[in-house]
Amino acid sequence: MVMMMTKTAPLVRAEGVSKEYRGRDTQMVALSGMDLDVMDGEFLSLLGPSGCGKSTALNIMGGLLAPTSGSVMFDGKPVAGPSRDIGMMFQQAVMFPWRTTIDNVLLPVEVFGQSKKKFAAKAEELLSMVGISEFAKSYPWQLSGGMQQRAALCRVLIHSPKLLLLDEPFGALDEFTRESMNSELLRLQAHTKATAVLVTHNINEAVFMSDRIAVMTPRPGRLVGIIDVPFERPRTPELALSPEFAELALKARSMLELT
Amino acid sequence: MTAVADRVSELRADTSTWRRAVSPYVVTVLIAPVIYGVWSYITNSGMVPSILLPTPQKVFEAVPRVVGAKGFSDHVIRTVSEIVLGFGLGALVGFGLGMLLGSSIRLRTAYLPFLSALEAIPTVILAPVIIAWFGFGIEGKVFQAAIACFYAVFITTLSGLGLAEPNSVQLMRSLCASKLQIMRMLKIPAALPVIFGGLQLGATTAIIGAIVSEFVGSDAGLGYLLQRYRSGFDTPAVWVMIGIFLIFGLIAYLILWFAERKIVFWRAAAISRPDLEKQ
Amino acid sequence: MTSALRVRPTKAGVAKVDGESSWWISAGTIVVLALAWELVPRFLDDRTLFPTLSDTAAGLVRLVSAGYWWSDLTGTLMSVVVAWLIGCSVGLVAGIALGTVPFIRTAITPYAIAVQALPKIVLAPLFIGWLGFGPQSKIAIAVVICFFPVWIDTMVGLALPKPNEFKLMQSLNATRAQTFWKLQLPSAVPMIMVGVKHAMLLAFTGVLVAEILSASAGGLGTLTKQFSSQLNMPLTFAVVIVVVVIAVTLVSIMDVIERRVVFWSEESRSRKS
Repeated sequence: MVMMMTKTAPLVRAEGVSKEYRGRDTQMVALSGMDLDVMDGEFLSLLGPSGCGKSTALNIMGGLLAPTSGSVMFDGKPVAGPSRDIGMMFQQAVMFPWRTTIDNVLLPVEVFGQSKKKFAAKAEELLSMVGISEFAKSYPWQLSGGMQQRAALCRVLIHSPKLLLLDEPFGALDEFTRESMNSELLRLQAHTKATAVLVTHNINEAVFMSDRIAVMTPRPGRLVGIIDVPFERPRTPELALSPEFAELALKARSMLELT
Repeated sequence: MTAVADRVSELRADTSTWRRAVSPYVVTVLIAPVIYGVWSYITNSGMVPSILLPTPQKVFEAVPRVVGAKGFSDHVIRTVSEIVLGFGLGALVGFGLGMLLGSSIRLRTAYLPFLSALEAIPTVILAPVIIAWFGFGIEGKVFQAAIACFYAVFITTLSGLGLAEPNSVQLMRSLCASKLQIMRMLKIPAALPVIFGGLQLGATTAIIGAIVSEFVGSDAGLGYLLQRYRSGFDTPAVWVMIGIFLIFGLIAYLILWFAERKIVFWRAAAISRPDLEKQ
Repeated sequence: MTSALRVRPTKAGVAKVDGESSWWISAGTIVVLALAWELVPRFLDDRTLFPTLSDTAAGLVRLVSAGYWWSDLTGTLMSVVVAWLIGCSVGLVAGIALGTVPFIRTAITPYAIAVQALPKIVLAPLFIGWLGFGPQSKIAIAVVICFFPVWIDTMVGLALPKPNEFKLMQSLNATRAQTFWKLQLPSAVPMIMVGVKHAMLLAFTGVLVAEILSASAGGLGTLTKQFSSQLNMPLTFAVVIVVVVIAVTLVSIMDVIERRVVFWSEESRSRKS
């Protein structure tokens, strides 16, 4: 059921990853026995409804959460905690209100102990690529939610991570903003040649964005299958209207047992 | 105090609901002569005994007498020093202890509930004790002011360090930030608004502490002066002293107001966007 | 079920600490502090100035068994409670009278700020000079001091509802009285409770200061002054302990009341919408 490409070593290899939560009398299985490879340079979606373990899996890949059993390898080494080569983006932009937008973008640089001056030019370049360069010296509360997420996108890219882990980053935005942000994301991912794993519950979004979709279902959270999305890049909005697109979406639906 | 001013700016938009053609501040200005008029009337007509409130003229006459008296500026310096040094000491120790205990989640969770009850203690009760220990000199007053303001700064620092949103901590962790970095770059800035509130409250209580200590027994200072005028039945002078305390209070309020706008600038500006004020 | 999916890194925030270790830490700290209080003064020169824990406890026992202090205790308590009740009532009325209509509230605000800036304790000697040494001056000072936070917090509380909420009442054709009772007052209750709690501490402070300043007024403050001027520190500390216990008890009672009242006001607010 799981397709593994053995041609090149995967950037991320998850084997038998499980996460259980034990209360005093209760036990909750968030993720059970997940085997997944993420190939270098690909865009992979984790698609599924609430409770299917996709965010758990993402957090385990990023080293923020330790699995109850199983192992995760990143770039050939076991994941023991967060890594500077992994950039994570969450549903909340999480901008620090006491820092200007550009200082927020440069936050990773400061944490890594590197020179802000060296990265200032790159920060400005990223900000203008997402279209908010005139807000560089503004404060987050002067920006709309969408603009803050754009800044968060710049922040996650400032240190050129090999792997991007994105947990429904545009879920809180309206439809139009989300579409344009997704296009931005694809453009920047292609530009930086980073590998991306996106968590989403939106089937169309998954098909549009990804090279492969890992479909997950809940109770217990598990991986039920992988769908290849062979469309060419760059992807245009018209793609969503093609019959091939609809076919893949339908396939995902049936795997999710929605039809 | 700043809460009132904040609400006023929010209400600027609100007055449209009650549709007024004239600005409320016109009334504000008009109230002043009314107050003066009432003051003049109740004192001149004898409704209020002059031992409590003298006529406006008597009070204004007393101003040059009080302010020009020999050594007046020394008393001013003495009281201001007591307040500033006492506040500085209490705030420093409060902040330090709060940082020490607050950097550990375990300690913070353990201490906060039972320390919160201590906010009720009226520190003025220690005034006679402090006088017994330190005598009438400046050290005792500084100590009293420090004890008075310590608690507010301590408890707000302690609780403020727990304010950082879990999302923000998660972000810092995903960047492999060390505990020290998380404290310095996230937890402390996130705590500043609350700590500043503690500093404001602490300043008020430090002032009260110094004044009460001077009343109970002192060899100098504005509180000492006020007591001296009162036991001399010089009520107009007493009211001049009260006016001086009012001016000092306003100056302190202004200083804190400006400091807040500079240091915790994001809090003030973000009040209008409550959805964005948290990180 | 879904909350497990919003995975929070387990070390963030506060929640994961169990109540048991908290108990041990608090109890342990109290024991250490008590030991320090008992032992440290022994190393200092003058034990009469710095009584140990046991000295203070002995003083407390003597005090309680002596009985002459009961009138002082009740005197202070009565004055505090009476002053607090008066201060809260007047503060509430003034707050409602001046704070309900935004226009008046805005006009009054500069004066409210000025009055808040004045440390009202400076009026204490004046009141003692005018009203003498008895309970009247105590209560008068305490009322003046504790009235203001109630007044100001009431005004702030009445201003809390957002413009949208006022518009809602308008759209329902509510009269001003209805808007007041159904929107403004319930919204104001939490702030009013804060002011009322703060007022308790201030009333206590006012009464104690008055008692300390007027050596024959009777009351716990006077006792403290008397004992300390006799340099009888164990007894002085004993009275201080009594004051602390009373203060903490009073505010704890207020906390309980506050929780009930705020809960009720939240209920009535949600019922309105």
